[in-house]
Formats: sequence, C-alpha cells, structure tokens
Amino acid sequence: MPEHERDKEKEKAATPASTSPGDPAASAAAAPLSVPGATKVVAPTEEDTAQHFFGEPLVGFDPSEITGSLIVIEGMDGSGRSTQITLLQEWLESEGFAVQTSGLRRSNLVGRDIDQLLAKNAVTRLTLSLMYATDFFDQVEHRILPALRAGTVVLADRFVFTLIARGVVRGINRDYIGGLYAMALRPHLTFWLNVRPETAFAREFKKAQAISYWEAGRDMSLSHDLYWSFIRYQTMIKREFEVMAKRHNFIELDGEASVSAVNKQLRQRIGERLGIRATKYTPSSALAHLWR
Amino acid sequence: MIVVEGTDGSGKSTQLYLLKRWLEIGGYRLHFTEWNSSPLVKSATRRGKQRRLLTPTTFSLLHAADFADRCERQIMPLLQGDYLVLADRYVYTAFARDAARGCPPRWLRNLYRFAPVPDITFYFRAPLDVAVHRILSGRPKLKYYEAGMDLGLSYDRSESFRLFQARILEEYDKMVDSDNFVVLDGTLPVNKLQKQMRDIVASKIDLKRFAPHAPEWSKDA
Repeated sequence: MPEHERDKEKEKAATPASTSPGDPAASAAAAPLSVPGATKVVAPTEEDTAQHFFGEPLVGFDPSEITGSLIVIEGMDGSGRSTQITLLQEWLESEGFAVQTSGLRRSNLVGRDIDQLLAKNAVTRLTLSLMYATDFFDQVEHRILPALRAGTVVLADRFVFTLIARGVVRGINRDYIGGLYAMALRPHLTFWLNVRPETAFAREFKKAQAISYWEAGRDMSLSHDLYWSFIRYQTMIKREFEVMAKRHNFIELDGEASVSAVNKQLRQRIGERLGIRATKYTPSSALAHLWR
Repeated sequence: MIVVEGTDGSGKSTQLYLLKRWLEIGGYRLHFTEWNSSPLVKSATRRGKQRRLLTPTTFSLLHAADFADRCERQIMPLLQGDYLVLADRYVYTAFARDAARGCPPRWLRNLYRFAPVPDITFYFRAPLDVAVHRILSGRPKLKYYEAGMDLGLSYDRSESFRLFQARILEEYDKMVDSDNFVVLDGTLPVNKLQKQMRDIVASKIDLKRFAPHAPEWSKDA
C-alpha cells in the first residue's frame, strides 16, 4: 500500500476521542464502561465522569469513594514547585490533614525504567510518552486513588499538563496525547507557578551548576548552545501551558515572587477548599532555610 | 504488512511461521515481529506481572509502549524500505484483550492510532472449546494474567481462562467487518490452511516488489 493511501487508511481507522485534556469543549460523552466481573464495581454516571475525569472513566472507578482532594502544582524546573510542596505538606500536617505526594517517574512499575531510558537516550518520543503515561496511571491507581479514597490531600508535583506539553512540542498529535490522558483524574485545584525561562535557568544552574539534557530539550536540536536550547525549549512549553491555563482553570501564580508570598497565596486557595479558616503559617526550624 | 490474529490456541503462530518459511525460502526481504517483544519494556512487564502491579490501564499502556518502540524503530522504517513485515499479533490483540479487561474501546482506538494499517489481517477463528483445549492440554500451569485472573472471573485458573477467552473471542468477532479481517477456519488441517494463506498472499500482494535484486554479475551470464 503506498504511503499516502496508508495515511488515509490510518485516518479512517482512527477514532478520535472527542473529549480530552487537550480539548477545549471537554463535554461528558462517556463511553459505556464494561465492568470486570466478580469484584464490586459501580459504573460511573456521565455526570461523575465529567466531574472526575477529562473524558473517559477509569476502569473500575467508583466516584462515591472519593473524599480527599487532589491538588496539582505545575511549573517548569526552577519555578519553586518542590519547595512549595515541602512547605505545604508541613502546613497541612500541622492543620491535621493527611498528605500524600506524587510526581513524575515515581511509580513502582516503570519509574526506574524511565530513568534508565533517559540516561541512555535510546528511546523514541512516542515510546517515551507512553512510558510516562504508564508511570502516571500506575501512580493514579496505586497511590493517588487509594489516598483520595482515604480522605487524604494529594499534592502532585506536576501532572498530565507537563506530559501533554512535552509531547506536543515534540510533534505528537495534540488529540492523540489528550485522548491518552482522557482517563486522568481531574484535579480539584491546579496551580501554575509561572516564571520566565531566564529566571528558571539561573535558579537551576545555581542549584546544580549544570542543566540537564532533557530539561534543556537537547533532543530537539534547537540550538548547540545550552542556554539558548533551554530558553527556546522552555518557551515552547510555556506557550502550551498558556493554552491549557484557560481551558483547565489554572490558578496562575507569579513564581518569581518570594517563597513566602507564593506560599501565602497557595495556602489561601487550598484553605478555602479544605475549610481551613486561619491560614497563618511559619515553617518549623527544619524548613526555615526554604523561607525566603 | 501481513498480520495474524486470533485467540490463544487458534493456530495462528504455526501458520505465520510456515508462511515466513515459504517467503524466506523464496528469498523475499522480510521482517518478523511478535507482540510484546521489545527489550525496552521487558523488565517493566516482568516486574508488573510478578508483583501483580498491572491494572487494565497500565497493562494496556505498557503494551502500547512496547508496540510504539517496535513500530518507530522497526516496522515503519522497514515498510518504507520495501520489506514485507509479518506480525504475530498486532493492535487488534490489544483491542480485543484490553476491551475484554474493561478499557473503553474509544480510548484504545486512540491509543494505537499511530499504527500503520496492515495489507492483510488473517483472523484464525477456532471454536472456544477447541482453542481452550489446545492450550490447557499443552501447558502445565496458566500464568496469572494469561488466565485473566486479574478480572476476578473465577478462582479456578482454567475456568477463568475460558471465560476470559470467550470475551476476547467476542471482541475479535466484532472487528471482522470493521477491520477487514480475512477469516480462516482454525480447525482445518495445517497444510490446507497454509495453502489458503499462501494463495491469498500471492493474490493480494505484489511479491515481486520484495524479491531480491538480481546481482550485477547475473545479468552478463
């Protein structure tokens, strides 16, 4: 079959998911869920699906069990994500909330495999995207959902938005990657710590005296100069975030403000969600060094 | 691209092996690829199975990652380079098996939309009893995921396998028309089935395109 015909066939065979995190009009057209046998499973209604997922319901999901909160912090390396999560965890625990964290490449299933693939640089973009998706859903099913069922506050250090942005800037079809994450849980709050790439570069370089191959997007051959490669790559990612920010109600915070100022805003919004009235907080001596 | 599909024990692998031998002996350029065989995700699959970490979603995604690796590094470049690609199981295995595990069909179709559409897809259809008997009599113990134990259909592995295979068969049957399967009767004698297969391949594919180029010296002789 000649290439162009094959492409046409491919188009025909493709059934685009109509709802996805990449899709502006994410409506609630749920595919019927066929339920695996003996275990007790409640099929989510369309309303449940729209509320909890971007498109499709996750296999075996019972929405009535969710009592916790999923709070996502997004932003490029050097935006202060992990500092803020460390501080938020301490604050929430001091307020009596159980906290679980999650982040990319932390799954038991494939976390280490991805580390190895990245180290060897022997992987194509689509395969890498799918490995990240596996890592993501393993954490959703084994870490995030059990925590949410137990009423825990889950603080996610990055989420599907980073994975979608990384895929899209590498030329993976937006609908494809959006459809992939259609079964991802919809966060209750998504914060975007927005910083200029130049600031992020300075912070990252100060931290490690180096910039990682992947964080600089070196696989994309944007520039032989490490600095320009980083700036161009992060600018492309940032543009994707700007598009998603509107669609998915990101709460955008100025990541260049002081740690305490950003933290205050985070506490206010999270406090509203969790019903914590007084959101005063000063870090313990163990974390005081983070408080700038 | 030629693909064989069918439930476990339908005879598809034997038939594809014989087709491969026929083409190899004829000197055609070909590449043989099997489902779930990329070294890249092998350790993850093994770990997931041993520790029973796999859910329908991650099981499906891991197989997709495996396929993407083979697709991007072998299947696509070789199709471009005028090779015959023979695939023992293809994306339809995922459509049937993962749907039987409860994954939304629309999500699955999207997951694999980067896959090139085969020129011929042979579907070996054998009645459930025949296929199940072939597997159960030849294997001392069915593996956990192979038997579909993760679905909780039955505590008895053989019974679980049977129920799981029945669901898969149902999913395959749904695709016969929509995905242009060439249906072959898996209960026919091996050599008769192979004859049918070779005739269909010869009539549908211009095999000359894949014949070895005549070496320079032979033109003078």
